[in-house]
Amino acid sequence: MFDRILNMFTTVANETHGSVLVVFLIGLFFGVLIQYSRVDKFEKIAGFAMLRDTVVPKMLFLAIGLASIGLYFMVEAGVASYHPKPIILGGLIIGGTLFGISMAILGKCPGTGPVSIAEGRIDVLVGAIGGVFGGLVFTLYYDFFKKIMGESLGKTTLVSYFHGHENLVVLVFGIFLIVVSIIIPLRQEFDDVDLEQLKE
Amino acid sequence: MIRRMPWWLAGILMALLVLFTFSVFGASRPFGASTYVPYFAGILFDLSPQKYPYLKEVHFAGAWEGVMLLGALTGGFLTSVFVTKTFRLSIMPTAWKKYKNSSVISRLIWSFISGFFLIIGARLAGGCTSGHFLSGMAQTAVSSMIFGGVVLLSIVVTGKLFYKSEANDV
Repeated sequence: MFDRILNMFTTVANETHGSVLVVFLIGLFFGVLIQYSRVDKFEKIAGFAMLRDTVVPKMLFLAIGLASIGLYFMVEAGVASYHPKPIILGGLIIGGTLFGISMAILGKCPGTGPVSIAEGRIDVLVGAIGGVFGGLVFTLYYDFFKKIMGESLGKTTLVSYFHGHENLVVLVFGIFLIVVSIIIPLRQEFDDVDLEQLKE
Repeated sequence: MIRRMPWWLAGILMALLVLFTFSVFGASRPFGASTYVPYFAGILFDLSPQKYPYLKEVHFAGAWEGVMLLGALTGGFLTSVFVTKTFRLSIMPTAWKKYKNSSVISRLIWSFISGFFLIIGARLAGGCTSGHFLSGMAQTAVSSMIFGGVVLLSIVVTGKLFYKSEANDV
């Protein structure tokens, strides 16, 4: 097992997708951001499912809106490229449904879960163990899951449908999401720690 | 006082992180966070990538996200101890007690089951909140918009059906 963990670092080091340090720092920044904005809390994601907390959609739509505009112009400038995922209808619809149900119950997603384990959440650690078994089952029965996922209908992007008007489409898309993030009313569900800190 | 970053600042910084990760100065790839799970399962259960095609497929993405995850754990831990001061060992989320029940066993069993299907779902769709929702929609990818729509719908319907509409007395 030790040599495979070592192999993880050498795999990253041998590719051209950032040095081990850069990739670690990307994660570090992500961890700080998720923790400092408190979106790793059960109250944020399960709270959104109950429509009692809107911090997650507000933050997410703002980030997507800004990133979509920035990324388009970075691609134009030649300093980034698009890597869209394939349209696999079975996978997207069945997978997305399972993912949404699970996210509402666990109150985490695969990115925010580890950050909440890092602040001492034991229930999420149990969820992560469940997740590792999920990864195991998926790996072992990949042939079966592949049938559910279905054929890829291509890796298209919205901008590619509007040849000649890409700039305008990206701006409209990005600004629309930014406006959505602002007009969603801010609601917050607090947990015990928040309530303690509010009294201070 | 609550030690917390406002949502708009977190949104702006998250956009910058995604852009940096996409750029040639960062990692020239999308930001993602669910491929590491089958990758770690392969390591923990000592499955050979030669024998399991899926492990071969995620060999690089899994390693990349594994290193990224170590950073996220470090960042989350240090911030919870020194900045937000919210580090504490806990099992029961406040809102679970308020809107579901006060049984620790119930919370742990549901955590395990939902953790299991969270990863099956993400791997079926080919991404999660980070890879599909955030990075995918930022590329205006059609697949990610389908995923995003399905997830938003199922999360809100589950929230309505699974939890109580009135708070329990706690």
